[in-house]
Amino acid sequence: MDTKLILVAEDDPVLKNLLGHTFAGKYQTLYARDGAEALALFEKYKPALLMLDLLMPGVDGFAVLEKIRGRQDEFKSVPIIIVSNLGAEKDKQRARELGATDYLVKAENSIDEIVARIAKALGE
Amino acid sequence: MPLGGFLAIFFLLLAAASGGALWYYSTHALAAVLSGAAYLFAVGKSLALAAFILAAVAIIFFIIARLLAAPLKRITRAMQAFADKGIRAPIRVPRLAPREVRELIGEFAKMSASVEAAQAHDKEVARVKSDFISTAAHQLRTPLTAVRWALEALSATPLSEDQRSLVENATAKSKDLVAIVGTLLDISLIESGKYKYQFAPLDLAALLENALADFIPLAGEHGVHLALAPGAAAPPVRADAERIKWVLNNLIENAIRYTPSGGSVTLSLAVAAGVAFLRVRDTGIGILPQDRGNIFERFFRGGNALSKESEGNGLGLYIARQIARDHGGDISFAANENGPGTTFTLALPVA
Repeated sequence: MDTKLILVAEDDPVLKNLLGHTFAGKYQTLYARDGAEALALFEKYKPALLMLDLLMPGVDGFAVLEKIRGRQDEFKSVPIIIVSNLGAEKDKQRARELGATDYLVKAENSIDEIVARIAKALGE
Repeated sequence: MPLGGFLAIFFLLLAAASGGALWYYSTHALAAVLSGAAYLFAVGKSLALAAFILAAVAIIFFIIARLLAAPLKRITRAMQAFADKGIRAPIRVPRLAPREVRELIGEFAKMSASVEAAQAHDKEVARVKSDFISTAAHQLRTPLTAVRWALEALSATPLSEDQRSLVENATAKSKDLVAIVGTLLDISLIESGKYKYQFAPLDLAALLENALADFIPLAGEHGVHLALAPGAAAPPVRADAERIKWVLNNLIENAIRYTPSGGSVTLSLAVAAGVAFLRVRDTGIGILPQDRGNIFERFFRGGNALSKESEGNGLGLYIARQIARDHGGDISFAANENGPGTTFTLALPVA
């Protein structure tokens, strides 16, 4: 079975490596270091899912979310899972209102949990 | 006072006239008739004077009322509006109002302005504090995430038994730290009144049964017998299930931690007069008399804490009571005067 392509927007290199470790073999993974890069990679590769951090230099996760959900094509509904250390209810609510598929507070979840939620969002 | 003065004058005049009349009558029989007329005349004059003075008094009262009472009433109303709703409106008074009244209004305006400024300052401090806490939480979580995930990756590799137990310990502690950060965030929100409760009907008996199951292992570790009193039933309460569960967990955990091995912790549920009472009764070390007034204070910890192991962060009861009160309920406790045992009661209004 061919592996799906997921895009991970995560600016912390340590966390990126740890995720890469886990995703290896499960998914084809693309990494973006900031929001602008995430949008560019999304446009170019049309991934099956976007795992999105909120606090990133330049264009932040909220802006990325808004931009993608505002698209006019079928890629506007690609599952977007917020994985951030912002955990306040107001952040969660804002992300939900902007159309996030799921929301995970990084520190409160294991990588296994994140993998499980990605699988769920992909309907696997 | 003017009325009293008038009466005094009136009676003096009356007495003088009567005295004079008697004297005339005793000396001159003829003159007595005349003196009677003079007497009546004097009385008539006094009555006219009385009417005049009365009118003058009424006018003075009216002016005093206009210049003093009406402005005072307005000042009172303005103070009420400010105290109740924080409304600051100019107070209008007649131009002839006494200087003292105007000064009072001026001082009140100054005072209310400074109260308003102090409130604005407090709000700003609260905002900065809450911003600081959410930023700090984010700053703490980022490295904690790396620690947790790295430990998770490490535990997925082949490890010796010693290494595995070290990794497990480190994992457990890093999870504790994450939980503390979350609690701090929740507390700052609850304390600032910004926490958004998700109110829904809650079955307290089921909540207690679940809590019992959750805490049996911890109770076992401490050699404490944990039980649910029979007959626990109550109509549903309107509550935020997650938060009330957190409150109950805190009470149960405290009870277990402060109860020496061999003791017991009993949960019970009762309803009276539209209020559900969840009780957590322990046979623990009790609460020192000097500590009783402080246990609901922030960061307070009992002076008789059993050991380092029973250390909490001192935030539990403080925030638990706040949550109970946000639900229209409260938390109270009863401790034995001499000897062991404490009962904490969480009271929640029945929906």
